[in-house]
Amino acid sequence: MSPEAPPSPSPLPAAAHPSPAPLSRRSLLRTGAAATAGLGLGLTASGCGFLPADASVYGDTEAPIDVKVDGDLVYFNWADFVDPAVFAGFEKEYGVKVIQSNFDSMEGMVAKLNAGNRYDIIFPSAKWAQRLTAGHRLRRIDHSKLRNAESVFGHYPYFADPWYDAGSHYTVPRIVYKTGIGWRKDKIGDDLGGSWDDLWSAKAKGRVFVLDDRDEVLGFAALKLGLDLATEDEGDLGRIAETLRSLRPHLRGFSSDSYNNLLNGNAVMTQAWSGDMAAMLAQAEDPSALGFEIAKEGSPVNSDCYAIPSDARHPGTAMLFIDYMLRPENVKKNIEYIGYPMPVGGTEDTYAALVEPFPECLVSADDLKDDLYFRNGTAKGEQARDAAWTHVKAG
Amino acid sequence: MATHTTPDPRTGSTPPSGPAKPRRGPSAKANRTWTWLMLPGTLWMAAFLLASLVLVATLALGTTDPLGNPRFGFNLDNITALGDPAYRSVMLRSLGYALLTVVICLAVAYPVAYAIALHGGRFKNFLIAAIVVPFFANYLVRMYGWSVVLSDDGPLLKALRSIGIADGDTRILQTGPGVIAGLVYGFVVFMIIPLYAALERMDVSLIEAGRDLYGGPLRTFFHVTLPATRQGAAAGCVLVFLPAMGDFVSAQLMGGPDQIMIGNLIQDKFFQGQNWPLGSALTMLMMAVLFLGMLGYLRRTRKDEKDEAEAAQ
Repeated sequence: MSPEAPPSPSPLPAAAHPSPAPLSRRSLLRTGAAATAGLGLGLTASGCGFLPADASVYGDTEAPIDVKVDGDLVYFNWADFVDPAVFAGFEKEYGVKVIQSNFDSMEGMVAKLNAGNRYDIIFPSAKWAQRLTAGHRLRRIDHSKLRNAESVFGHYPYFADPWYDAGSHYTVPRIVYKTGIGWRKDKIGDDLGGSWDDLWSAKAKGRVFVLDDRDEVLGFAALKLGLDLATEDEGDLGRIAETLRSLRPHLRGFSSDSYNNLLNGNAVMTQAWSGDMAAMLAQAEDPSALGFEIAKEGSPVNSDCYAIPSDARHPGTAMLFIDYMLRPENVKKNIEYIGYPMPVGGTEDTYAALVEPFPECLVSADDLKDDLYFRNGTAKGEQARDAAWTHVKAG
Repeated sequence: MATHTTPDPRTGSTPPSGPAKPRRGPSAKANRTWTWLMLPGTLWMAAFLLASLVLVATLALGTTDPLGNPRFGFNLDNITALGDPAYRSVMLRSLGYALLTVVICLAVAYPVAYAIALHGGRFKNFLIAAIVVPFFANYLVRMYGWSVVLSDDGPLLKALRSIGIADGDTRILQTGPGVIAGLVYGFVVFMIIPLYAALERMDVSLIEAGRDLYGGPLRTFFHVTLPATRQGAAAGCVLVFLPAMGDFVSAQLMGGPDQIMIGNLIQDKFFQGQNWPLGSALTMLMMAVLFLGMLGYLRRTRKDEKDEAEAAQ
């Protein structure tokens, strides 16, 4: 799983299921894929190439893209992240096929790219978009050639010059999300304290899950302590590990499958992505038994975007696809299908209606702040964070 | 891990291979045939076992580039990082879990193998198939199913609660016993099969002889049956121990924060941290520990073989 991104269950949700039913199609796909990849462990290394991230290898990524149908669309995303009806509409309108494949983590996506697989459109998270851009792996996207770009950049100026892609030359934002705390109202009451401290609540002792995600877990502890979300400082990381150690007696597990953990009652409280909570509203027998809060110390935000790899065979079709996906009617369909808000002007009401019981799932322009994003660190900093995470997990 | 289940080709003790044939001097032609027959397996092992091992070992000395891709190099940071006490405690836990799994598998599998081999009669093949066929299903799906059985509101705890053995706070999931239950469930068939093979080819008249000499059932078992099937048991132990040690699915599905195994850390390094070099270093550490275990097994079987040869003279 990508440290910052996966807006959805982990490859191996550490969950128990009272019945097999709650395992959604999405998480099953991801689970299977991760197992296939994972059971090889160390030996997976042999499957991937080690191409250098060097511009010359990938040709001229600055050449403008002719926006026209130049072949079928080879699409690469999380499983089940676009309404099938939207795909069908695109295929019909442009007379092309959408050839789909899915990844189960950002690492997996980049590994596939490095192995020489060619895609026309991919969906990296902010942190990975920055890495791919730095590695000259993306084509430039000329916004003036997208009829619907204005509805994104005109309404969400933050994305006109985001930290991960100066001038937004290589990406178009797709979804945004936050991280908060989900809980079972029917088990521990209607109100929590509105703070990350709630995870330490005596009411939930032994039934708390946190995400199985390095940045998210180190991140909430950093916010609780008033530290930089993406700190690389050894002293800070020591304090963070200490704080998280004190959470261990309360903790039942690390799992990114908040969805199943809450629904089947293994968790009464869990760190959760806003999109998963929105999905639960649609799935739960009694949505009023669930609560979701955003801590006052702050919530990590994140976004995924559209990007066109530099070796895409059909970049023109990819441009048409992005434009098509940004049409308001398609944005609305997709919002309802996947439960994540999209930074497209005029679609806010659709999302607000969808998550009416959990207004905390909404991500407004005000929520988007550089320092609430997980950012790429230095090699040394990443190592320090990695070591801290190992201590947190190994105990 | 593909590396562990290799039977010792010389002793042939791992797969059920029937009674050893008397040795005869092979002709030159037969020798050539055997060489050719060995070739595909040898190539396979060289490509997918040795080459991957070398690759992992090389990676362990590498670094990562900004895209997270592994870069080859000569960098001892990953090796020194293994000195972190967190790894030691997780490694010890994994060893403990794997050893316990072996002991429990042995205890569970022996009676099963014994019953089928000696009392299965014409149902033998059917019974063995009944044990093996479910293991054709995807490992992960089976483990998921098992986690459903063990879950808080699952059938097992419900049943235990109804007869008063468990109460509302009793848990199996996210506990050490839960993880070991998962490991035993996942790998017990690797113990049953070699034990069955050993019992099957054991000379039953030995047991009768033991009884004729007034050995009670227990005494006969410990003095005759057990020693005669020692090689099968040893093979089963290795076949269970190696994958149990490297497993991460069981700890992921059945374990909590205090049940992390070494496989989980390795999986984290590869899939979350995208730190392949450190993951490789950890893999090498695990391989080293497993290699020591394997060495013990090989020495043991070699000694057994020698003893047998001497006894035969």
